[in-house]
Amino acid sequence: MSIFVNSNSKVLVQGVTGKEGSFWAKHMKDMGTKVVFGVTPGKEGQDVDGIPVYHTVRRGIAEHDADISMLFVPPKFTKDAVFEALDAGIKKICTIADGIPLHDAVQIRKAALSCGAMVIGGNTSGIISIGEAMLGTIPYWIERVYKKGHIGVMTRSGSLTNEVTAEIVGGGFGVSTLIGVGGDPVPGTRFAELLPMYEADPDTKALVIIGELGGTMEEEVAELMQEKKFTKPLVAFLGGRTAPEGKRMGHAGAIVSGGKGTVKGKTEALTKAGGKVARRPSMVPLLLKEFLG
Amino acid sequence: MNVFEYQAKQAFRDNGIATPKGVLIRSVEELDTVIGEVGLPCVLKSQVLRGGRGKAGLIKLVKTKEEAKDTAQKLFSCEHNVKMILAEQAVAMVKEVYLAVTFNPVTAKAMFIACAEGGVEIEILAKNSPEKLVKVEVDITEGLGAYHINNLLFGLGISGDLGKKFGALARNLYKTFRACDASLAEINPVFITKDEEVIAGDGKLIIDDNSVSRQPNYQLSRDYFDSDVEYEAAMEGIPYLQFTGDIALMCAGAGLTTTVFDIIHDFGGTVATYTEFGGANYTKAVRTMELCLKTPSKVILVVTFGTIARADVMAQGLAEAIKTHKPSMPIVTCIRGTNEEEAFKILREIGLEPLTNTEEAVQRAVDIAAGRK
Repeated sequence: MSIFVNSNSKVLVQGVTGKEGSFWAKHMKDMGTKVVFGVTPGKEGQDVDGIPVYHTVRRGIAEHDADISMLFVPPKFTKDAVFEALDAGIKKICTIADGIPLHDAVQIRKAALSCGAMVIGGNTSGIISIGEAMLGTIPYWIERVYKKGHIGVMTRSGSLTNEVTAEIVGGGFGVSTLIGVGGDPVPGTRFAELLPMYEADPDTKALVIIGELGGTMEEEVAELMQEKKFTKPLVAFLGGRTAPEGKRMGHAGAIVSGGKGTVKGKTEALTKAGGKVARRPSMVPLLLKEFLG
Repeated sequence: MNVFEYQAKQAFRDNGIATPKGVLIRSVEELDTVIGEVGLPCVLKSQVLRGGRGKAGLIKLVKTKEEAKDTAQKLFSCEHNVKMILAEQAVAMVKEVYLAVTFNPVTAKAMFIACAEGGVEIEILAKNSPEKLVKVEVDITEGLGAYHINNLLFGLGISGDLGKKFGALARNLYKTFRACDASLAEINPVFITKDEEVIAGDGKLIIDDNSVSRQPNYQLSRDYFDSDVEYEAAMEGIPYLQFTGDIALMCAGAGLTTTVFDIIHDFGGTVATYTEFGGANYTKAVRTMELCLKTPSKVILVVTFGTIARADVMAQGLAEAIKTHKPSMPIVTCIRGTNEEEAFKILREIGLEPLTNTEEAVQRAVDIAAGRK
């Protein structure tokens, strides 16, 4: 078991002939992901490392089954590409695009909510169910960072994820499924919306969330924990504890304004709900041990 | 991108919202002619991007030309780096209302926020009396309907002729918000005059950074920055902040850099500069170091853990930066990620020790800054 993507998932890749798309589609395949076809308008008939290319998602779907679309499409074309996948009936989508215009991001999330689909990203490095499948640009080959195990990970960040995951693995644990929701102010999917999947996943014994200042995603997680809708052990690391108010440090989504979105407030909410918050990445495995022994 | 009040008001006027008569000045001398245009009394409003301008004494009502010139002179020479003043006609109003449009990221809808008591700090109001806020959400794909406006007006208790005018204002503010790719369009306060005219007394507009390329009216200029080096960095697309501490940070990844910033403070250190050379900038080490060196520091700390931003490329970049700029202060490195073995080799070749533990690296930088190593 694993969540969102596993070794049986049939994945299509939009933007497959581009520099990033072709490079990472090959890596996704090498790791075991079933990449069934790719899409680039005007390039039908070509293949990328054995992946057949179609002009449009609908033309590919006519020939192959697919249940997930992975997008390697530039930010300004991402809204159209997401809408195209939704139009073809795809219910799980992941986009790494860094720089999606805000009004587009809002429409992407709204469209997904309206049709019961889930869009992960943008501005994420993707999703990995270790040993099964990978969507995006996750360096699964670095063994001291990406080792299979029973800790679920949700994150708003990229490099910081490598940092924290290396600590988890260094502490003797491994990772079940890691989902990067991305660093944008309006991500397609929010932390709290993924909790039911981690709750139901028998491979996940505890969950680590890598959050940061700004927004309310961590507080929403605390709320679900209070309501007993998520009952597994939860450890969080939150970046930006000492960031000065009003200065934009880090991601676009990471800014404190009007006293809202502080790491202090998030820490209080998560602790009150029964979670443990690590002061530094190195403390994440120690807190996991307190929970799991 | 937070734009100045005078730009927000221009955007409002472009979308049919009335504003007080006003002229932007960059020198005291301009007041001679400008006062004739806007009349007396008038309000001198310093064009700075910080909030709480009223409290900081950056907005002044003046009654005579002499007082205007004297006050403008003081504003231009105060410590808040005032380069522009909006001289604006003083409006006699009977009521102030708060109105803003932003996004609710949870519902993925645009959201009007309004309050019949304007002119106050909305954050304080939201905290102390949230029941006074009227919120109306709009699906931007479907667009703004009459029922949204009705919910807003009846929620505020505004009706009749004033309701029609305020409704038009709300429509136009929504239009501004959409047209400008804004993350916030705010009028605080909306002036309501005794003749029931509705006028934007103030204006705040934040353009989404990811949309600036399709908003040609709003391009970065020196006006938006406190220092030349911050402006230079922004033009390069390199995240850059100046502080007054000891450690120059050259890191990669927004979350990681912020975390290193936290750990430095945990270990009793201080930060001189915050820069990121990850993501699209991962080949810009030479330029990033040049910017770092423009602020005094005692040690350079490089922490990365990159995927696409390959470790070997970043180490090579750092080696070139050192060769180009010959920094006099020690450098602590913790460069990991894709091709890290190659990166370690490059670092050793230029006499640097490749650390792999972030906390160890931070501790070493803090020790060097404190003169302990």
